[in-house]
Amino acid sequence: MTGADQEPAVRCRGLTKHYGSGNERVDALRGVDLDVRSGELLMLVGPSGCGKTTLISIITTILDQDDGSCEVLGRDVGRMTEAERTRFRGESVGFVFQAFNLLPALTALENVSVPLLVSGVAREVAEQRARSVLEEVGLGARADVLPRKLSGGQQQRVAIGRALVHDPKLVVCDEPTSNLDAKTGHEMMDILRGVARASDRALIVVTHDNRTFDYADRMARMEDGRIVEVSEGGRQGAQS
Amino acid sequence: MFRIALKMLAADRAKFVGLLFGIAFTSFLVTFAASYFCGFMTNGFALISENGATDVWVMDPAVQSVEQTINMSASALDRVRSVEGVSRAVPLALGNADVRFANGQFQTFQVIGVDDASLAGAPVVPGRNPDELRARDAVIVDAGGTSGKLETPALARDQWPHDGAHLDAPTRELRGGDELLVNEHLVRVLGQSSTVPRYPPRPLLYTTLSNALRILPVEPHTLTFVMARTVAGASPREVARRIEQRTGLRARSTADFKSDTVRWFLVNSEDVGDIAAMLTLAMTMGFGVTGVMLYMFTYEHQSQYAVLKALGTPSGTLTAMVLAQAAMCALLGTGMGLGLCGIAGEVVVRLGFPFRMMWFTPLAGLLGVVLVSVAAALISVRPVVKLQPAVVFAGR
Repeated sequence: MTGADQEPAVRCRGLTKHYGSGNERVDALRGVDLDVRSGELLMLVGPSGCGKTTLISIITTILDQDDGSCEVLGRDVGRMTEAERTRFRGESVGFVFQAFNLLPALTALENVSVPLLVSGVAREVAEQRARSVLEEVGLGARADVLPRKLSGGQQQRVAIGRALVHDPKLVVCDEPTSNLDAKTGHEMMDILRGVARASDRALIVVTHDNRTFDYADRMARMEDGRIVEVSEGGRQGAQS
Repeated sequence: MFRIALKMLAADRAKFVGLLFGIAFTSFLVTFAASYFCGFMTNGFALISENGATDVWVMDPAVQSVEQTINMSASALDRVRSVEGVSRAVPLALGNADVRFANGQFQTFQVIGVDDASLAGAPVVPGRNPDELRARDAVIVDAGGTSGKLETPALARDQWPHDGAHLDAPTRELRGGDELLVNEHLVRVLGQSSTVPRYPPRPLLYTTLSNALRILPVEPHTLTFVMARTVAGASPREVARRIEQRTGLRARSTADFKSDTVRWFLVNSEDVGDIAAMLTLAMTMGFGVTGVMLYMFTYEHQSQYAVLKALGTPSGTLTAMVLAQAAMCALLGTGMGLGLCGIAGEVVVRLGFPFRMMWFTPLAGLLGVVLVSVAAALISVRPVVKLQPAVVFAGR
């Protein structure tokens, strides 16, 4: 079954969000409509300040919208309580950040285990699962190493492992290749693309890095708080 | 998650050490102050402690402690002896006297007159027969926690000189055979004892009751305490209650009289205020150091807490993590503080300062640490709970 046949993993309609008030009011989102299908990699692109981060924050239940609706994996995030949002994030969403955001005190293995520990999985079980995920991203041999002793690419692999270890149905990547060289960036995108293709998972990748655009199934371009264009992507990763 | 919290804590060594130092400091100062206070109080009821064979202390109804006394009539002794449950009762007289040394210097001593027959309450002087105290004008001197107060002229020419006082004469400590002048009565020193130091410190002069009555100024009443022993199996409290009923005097079991004395010092001693000030300072300093360190630790690790929050960690779990970090610091810091206090206590005891670490003094230290740590943790939790996980994104 292709992504196009799937029920959207994310469906946003008329989403608005503002910050501040009076003269300092900033309308970050001005009525965003967006669908993200399961099994696809959607790239969200646009200039700084156009609302990309606000949009993914709402989709991942980190922020409230002002108006409009946002259904993620069949649930209306606007109707969730704070506790439900937190639980939803822990169970259904994986994150990959620009600065990796690994916990420096924990080894690669322990970092990858965190989402499972948050969900209450026993440490032994969590670490067993984390070890197999690290093998999948090619870091099995460095499982017991602290992040500061890993290269940027290796740290991002750990971060991808952490995003996938609890088998989330939505993975959100925020500028995942910005801190990496071109070769490593492509390696990361290969891994991410594989992740999306390998299951019924939806990926949203926020990026400025035009070297990676070819990996997108679709690209949504934002400007001034709106989605101005949605186009088919290069699908390079899909062929690899 | 607690394991993660502790790993985060240990990874930031500078702040971890700072936190441990703050808590160890609090624990040390609170425990030290409490132990010092216990040492004072133990010295405060030294007279009771050194009469361990006494079960019940009988005194004038107005007397609340061994520190502030007024005498009873001599008949009190026979009245106490006649009470059922009393197997033995002996007198004890306390008084103060200005004692002149052989070179003309003088010093105020507390005179303790013990029962002539039993010598109950008289200290032991190494190498001397206790019966020698029964000799007319025989005394035993004791530093009573003071230092340099038992100095007598070292040279014969400076002793009882006819050409006036030799106040600047070289001196040495009193020893057996020396003479002192007490209210114009010449007394002979049998030797120096080493009883429990007094609080407040004061030189002591032990002698028999009959000698004490001779050398102390004449008073209408001369009996300060009656020290009673109960018959086997009798409750000291019950016998004390019976003595009070029959004689109209105040009677207290040894344990109760110690408590009364401690209470009296709490109310009347200015040193208690000093120790309270020391405790307050310790708590304030400890709170300052610990609170600031813990707050800085959580504040500077906000990005990590934000990641955990973004990954679905509930605020309650994050709060528990901060509390776990504070608890770990409290546990280790308290241990370090108590260990340090034990070592410092050993040193100050050897230097002659009152210090007594009782079972509850480490608990006082622990309580101080718990108060400081909980307060610091609660302040530190706030930024973590209020944290917006959106800061993890590059655009924030």
